[in-house]
Amino acid sequence: MTTVLDTRAPGRSAKVPPPSGSRRSKLSQLNWAGGLAGWLWLLIVVIPIYWIVITSFKAQADYYGTNPLAPPASPTLENYRFVLENHFVRYFFNSVIVTLGSIIPAVAVSFMAAYAIVRGSAVSRFLRTANAIFLLGLAIPLQAVIIPVYLIIIKLEMYDTLGAIILPSIAFAIPLSVLVLSNFIRDVPKELFESMRMDGATEWGTLWRLALPLTRPALVTVTIYQGLQVWNGFLLPLILTQSPEQRTLPLALASFQGQYSVNIPAVLASVVLTTLPILTLYIIGRRQLLSGLTAGFGK
Amino acid sequence: MKRRNFLSLSAGAAAATGLAACGKSGPGDSSSGGGSGDKDAAGYWFLSGPPGEPIRQGAVDRFNKANSANQIKVTAIQNDAYKDKLKTSLGAGQAPSIIWGWGGGGLKSYVDAGQVDDLTDWFGQNAAVKDRLFKASFGPATIDKKIYAMPCETVQPIVMLYNKEAFEKAGVAAPPQTWAELMSILPKFNEKGIAPFSLGGQSRWTNMMWLEFLFDRIGGPEVMDAVYGGQKDAWNNPAAIDALTKTQELVNAKGFIKGFSSITADSNADQALLYRGKAAMELHGSWSYGIIKAEGGNFIKDGKLGFFNFPAVDGGKGDPTNTYGNAGQYLSIYSKASEHQKETAKKFFTSLLDDTEQQGWIETGGVPIVQDAKAKLAASPDAEFLNFVFDVSSKAAGFGQSWDQALSPSSAETLLDNIAKLFQLQVTPQQFATNMNAVIGK
Amino acid sequence: MTIAPPVVRTAPSTASRGGGSGSVSWMAWPALVAFTIFGILPLFGVLALSFTSWNGISPELSLTGLDSWKTVLSDPGLPHAIWVTFLIMALSWLAQTPLSILLGVFIAAHKRYRTVLAVLFFIPLLLSQAAIAITYKMLLDPNFGLGASLGVEFLQQDWLGDSTLAVGVVIFVVSWQWIPFHSLIYQGGIRQIPASMYEAAEIDGAGRIRQFFSITLPQLKYTIITSSTLMVVGSLTFFDLIWVLTAGGPGDATRALAVDMYVTGFRSNLMGPASAIAVILVLVGLGLALLLRRLGGRDASQSQLEGA
Repeated sequence: MTTVLDTRAPGRSAKVPPPSGSRRSKLSQLNWAGGLAGWLWLLIVVIPIYWIVITSFKAQADYYGTNPLAPPASPTLENYRFVLENHFVRYFFNSVIVTLGSIIPAVAVSFMAAYAIVRGSAVSRFLRTANAIFLLGLAIPLQAVIIPVYLIIIKLEMYDTLGAIILPSIAFAIPLSVLVLSNFIRDVPKELFESMRMDGATEWGTLWRLALPLTRPALVTVTIYQGLQVWNGFLLPLILTQSPEQRTLPLALASFQGQYSVNIPAVLASVVLTTLPILTLYIIGRRQLLSGLTAGFGK
Repeated sequence: MKRRNFLSLSAGAAAATGLAACGKSGPGDSSSGGGSGDKDAAGYWFLSGPPGEPIRQGAVDRFNKANSANQIKVTAIQNDAYKDKLKTSLGAGQAPSIIWGWGGGGLKSYVDAGQVDDLTDWFGQNAAVKDRLFKASFGPATIDKKIYAMPCETVQPIVMLYNKEAFEKAGVAAPPQTWAELMSILPKFNEKGIAPFSLGGQSRWTNMMWLEFLFDRIGGPEVMDAVYGGQKDAWNNPAAIDALTKTQELVNAKGFIKGFSSITADSNADQALLYRGKAAMELHGSWSYGIIKAEGGNFIKDGKLGFFNFPAVDGGKGDPTNTYGNAGQYLSIYSKASEHQKETAKKFFTSLLDDTEQQGWIETGGVPIVQDAKAKLAASPDAEFLNFVFDVSSKAAGFGQSWDQALSPSSAETLLDNIAKLFQLQVTPQQFATNMNAVIGK
Repeated sequence: MTIAPPVVRTAPSTASRGGGSGSVSWMAWPALVAFTIFGILPLFGVLALSFTSWNGISPELSLTGLDSWKTVLSDPGLPHAIWVTFLIMALSWLAQTPLSILLGVFIAAHKRYRTVLAVLFFIPLLLSQAAIAITYKMLLDPNFGLGASLGVEFLQQDWLGDSTLAVGVVIFVVSWQWIPFHSLIYQGGIRQIPASMYEAAEIDGAGRIRQFFSITLPQLKYTIITSSTLMVVGSLTFFDLIWVLTAGGPGDATRALAVDMYVTGFRSNLMGPASAIAVILVLVGLGLALLLRRLGGRDASQSQLEGA
């Protein structure tokens, strides 16, 4: 806790050179174990990915005829053509809309709720109850509640819209986000809140100017985690939508699985196509993402 | 014991937010209609993907074109996902007007719940519709002597496929006619490093096919009829124990490919073993012909694929012409559909399996469930196999339904679990019978 | 990550009212409303269903009191499912945490080639569970998979057919997908550790390993808590990957609670008992959350707005 105040003290920040100074090389020296793990892990990660990529260029009929790890003798773009012809682009954008549309509001309301719970639980019975309710929601198996959720969506006349996926996705992202964020906000030293209060800041202002920057790593973490859950979600889109216009990528992936068999190269081609744009985003935004994970305060 | 409506209970909580009571515009019945003039189109969900999707879609398209006042709105959904989506929509009272299914136990659970219409009278009035189809196809559609579904699409018996080249290599002249012969040729294949049988054992129902035939060949259909009939300790039947024992003997004699429990049927690796010559034979649904044709290169073209019916068991009581599998696929009418939608559905039923659709199924290596389909088979390049399937199906003294479809869903789960354990030699035949006796009638 | 800008503009006006400690309760409302409609209401529906014998299909259902609960609680499958759930939770935590920290340390260093590695490491995170399951099922195929391809006997195991191996495969695949995420968090955490701490330790003559244990690990405490919370709670509702990979098999070797609930409700049509299992799962989640909080060394009722 005290280190937090320390790093924010002007003396310290002047003393510590900005990143990529000497401490980086120090760090790298002390991680021989990390190096070993890193290279081993690379192998483990790369083999399946390599398999996915080369297989996506094989003809379905050839798959069992060749060594699975050998590159295709006559690479074909047929699978990609097939996937793109099957409205891949629309599914992709649906997935983007659903993911952003769920995660931004979900993290925002979770953050507000987490802040309120941390700041007000001692005096507010309502907030303590709210917290208990959120904790109840941590492990609701989606399959168990899907029928009531379905009925509610029909009642709201939202069936077969992207909103039908978004609303429950927001709701189901809230409990875990509140838990993680409130744990994090609780670590912000009381003295900082106190000094904000002395300065006459409102709770909203405190949330915005103090809690938000200090909990940025947790916010980024939660956003990525929940974003992946929504991005890969299968059950909600399956049950709550119907027409091809509203399909998301995981559903589209399933459509390459036939009645008796799976068109493996086509599935993998769509996996590659799905992954590439996000990977590109990650490569471009990696630095920002990392600074999001580190900014705020040094611990 | 009070009976309540599910909606009033679960949505009872919803009442607080003004969400209670069930709504009007169901997902099954498309309210959005479309520009085609029929505001009350009938919903129809079916399985997506090859080989069936384009043929099903084509049948609907032709129907919609010909009937502007009766429109059908389709949604194609992947197999496993379909089961979940359909179950949810039935549970929520929002199913599509036309329900695609497998008949049998699944259909029975819909019937018990009053979710599908009794079509017996309609078939009575439309004898022509009924009479042109295979009689056996109506078995899984019939519950307590009433017909609740329209049989459609193709008949898919389970047959033995074999690799002629592998037989040559191992010096086996002809496919086995009896169980004893089958057991005796196993070492010949194993000596050459060829597995006698391929098996996608991870999928469990693939193993089940072996039991279906062995039970039937040894004890006749009576053994399973006793189980279906809820007879106490029916699995203790000596024929059942004998069949289970023979299964484990086959496993012990290295009858199946090594690691079969890790092979999944939906990846088609089991067929690949056959056409790549790593396994000599496979017991599988007739649809695997289409898969081998699509993925096996020239295997079929070069005449390397052979097929035969499951061998007889010496001293067995069952008729060796009996077969198992899917006697057809089934369409039922949702009881909550509107009168207009029901009328559309029935109209659609009469339009099914026209020449174009039959031709479509034949091209995928399937035999349509139409009595006079045989004439059309001859023209196909796959005539040899199609005729074989037609004969197996039409000459069968009995066409048994897949156990997991015939049993209630909860006992089917127990069955599949125990079958996996039986093939893993984790339970003895007697333990298997005891475990299954516990769920009889449930 | 930004919060909707329109709301921000209202901030100054509130501020002008002066008082620093207005009520914060309203901030919890949006989340509470959203969660109540789609989380709590359905949960009540599930609770209600656990007292019925609904088959999931029938429009009618009969109240059967505690029958479903008795069935579930007396079924040996339940303790087994709970055991599997905790086994997978514990093993995947054990597999992921040390590796994620090590990898985090590794990629935190500013070296160009490691940046490239970090990008490669990240990929598994982006793949959907269905795609991952298909990939691994193919690679683990005893005849056409990795083992056969490389000719390595060790890799030609009965991966999905052997109970112990199947659990191992599930843990491995879960780790394969999620380690990139957790090492990313740790990478962030490690970069926050002030270099001066290491310099001071070096002056004191501490070796690298001691530095790791006396500086890096303690400094990562909050990151570890966050990452562990996500791993542990997340693993409770872990369903998709197990389902597509093993379907709970072989036998019931990988039938965790969420899978058990699904099989009971959607495959066996026993919605009553399935609902009871779901309620148990919710309670386990609640218990875990409280436990995690205690481990974090904080009291739930503690708050910073005392006397405001």
